[in-house]
Amino acid sequence: MTMQSPLPPKAAASDPNARSSAAPSPVLKLAGVTLRLGQHEVLSGIDLRADERRIGIVGRNGSGKTTLARLLAGLVAPTEGTAEISGVDMAKDRKAALRKVGILFQNPDHQIIFPIVEEEIGFGLTQMGLPKAEAAARSHAMLERFDKAHWAKAPVHSLSQGQKQLLCLMAVLAMEPALIILDEPFSGLDIPTRMQLMRYLDGVEASIVLISHDPAALRDFDRVIWLEAGRVREDGAAGPVLTRFERQMRLWGEEDDLSDLSG
Amino acid sequence: MISLTSPVEIWAHRLPAWLKLAALSLATVCLFAIESPAVLALAVAAVAGLFLTGGRVFLAEGFRNLRILWTFLVLIAVWHGVTGQIEAGMAIALRLLAAVALANFVTMTTRLGDMIDVVSFLLTPLRRLGLSTRALELAIALVIRFTPSIARKGALLTQSWRARSPRRPGWQIVMPMAALAIDDAEHVAEALRARGGLE
Ligand SMILES: Nc1ncnc2c1ncn2[C@@H]1O[C@H](COP(=O)(O)OP(=O)(O)OP(=O)(O)O)[C@@H](O)[C@H]1O
Ligand SMILES: [Mg+2]
Repeated sequence: MTMQSPLPPKAAASDPNARSSAAPSPVLKLAGVTLRLGQHEVLSGIDLRADERRIGIVGRNGSGKTTLARLLAGLVAPTEGTAEISGVDMAKDRKAALRKVGILFQNPDHQIIFPIVEEEIGFGLTQMGLPKAEAAARSHAMLERFDKAHWAKAPVHSLSQGQKQLLCLMAVLAMEPALIILDEPFSGLDIPTRMQLMRYLDGVEASIVLISHDPAALRDFDRVIWLEAGRVREDGAAGPVLTRFERQMRLWGEEDDLSDLSG
Repeated sequence: MISLTSPVEIWAHRLPAWLKLAALSLATVCLFAIESPAVLALAVAAVAGLFLTGGRVFLAEGFRNLRILWTFLVLIAVWHGVTGQIEAGMAIALRLLAAVALANFVTMTTRLGDMIDVVSFLLTPLRRLGLSTRALELAIALVIRFTPSIARKGALLTQSWRARSPRRPGWQIVMPMAALAIDDAEHVAEALRARGGLE
């Protein structure tokens, strides 16, 4: 693949498909949420109310970030407690969920359903009730936005890991959900694609929940939630939470005891 | 045997999918009616000629897509050789070769979406009866999506085995492969749910 020229800076902001800025941000609400998977209590007693536009989630491997993301997206229901977005239970009302929340899985291979790139992007759109022709047109517009029009007919198994990640992201963005949950979206992307994506995310009207191991990516977020062993350890403004998070990570990193791997 | 649409565009890509599928059905019926190995050999040659109209690269791709078939053909040949029905064995092997190659030709020159549209059209009567055919349409896409991916995972498991063992892997990777396939199924279910499921 040749180096792609990055999007012009204004491209994302002037997106005709973007919601008008008047749209109210979705409100996440978790009350007494506990989730058990088998014997294991993966999330314990989480209470949370959030309506910020940019929310970051940090935490060690196995602390429950991905599980929390699946819960927010309504892919799993809590064992105890309630989880809602703007007053709607995402696990129950899947139809409403399609417009409210989109999720980028940590592993793109777990997300891709279709053998051809354009089919993968178009699927979510037809699921939302768009006619086929319209879905195809929007898929192509999305591909073009990332300079990937030539991918349309490509079989998905021919894409590299990072390319698959970008495809999954395009499929989620095309549906224009009010809230986008991204589970480590940058892990496989090269620097130009990452920058392009970050700029795109800055431009979208949708609220964003971003899971990341990289504090720098969350620096200017409105709020950061730090999970530890399935509980909220800290929750607040990005600056102070990230500073303490980094300090703690370094401290643990200097210890030699790997037996402490959470999980 | 499931090959994806060929990236080499040939004349047959421009024919409507229903026409190709109808011709394929007809040709397959004829192939099964023919008994003589000589005539069947001619049919195989004709199919090869058909592939050749797509050029060298296309022909080579067609050959590669038949790889899995060779084992079956050899098995059939050996079995009939042992039981002394050489003529019948030849007929079966040639018929299979021609039929599968022809089916591959259609797959290689038809976009999956168009293929599914034809299937969906044929199932219209079922829909009239109130049955949902979306599940079937999706199933076709899933098979095509996951065949290369499972084959690839098998290859990766083999590599992972080789990286840590001087011996070749055998049946030992069957269980992990099965586990991976089940794992895949669970993930697809979740991915479908994330995008509205099958209602
Ligand atoms: N299906 C499952 N069954 C049982 N336990 C599970 C299951 N999925 C996850 N877990 C456990 O739940 C815990 C949290 O997993 P999760 O994937 O949410 O972590 P994470 O914070 O996303 O980690 P990472 O940074 O490695 O992605 C882990 O201890 C994991 O072993
Ligand atoms: Mg995770």
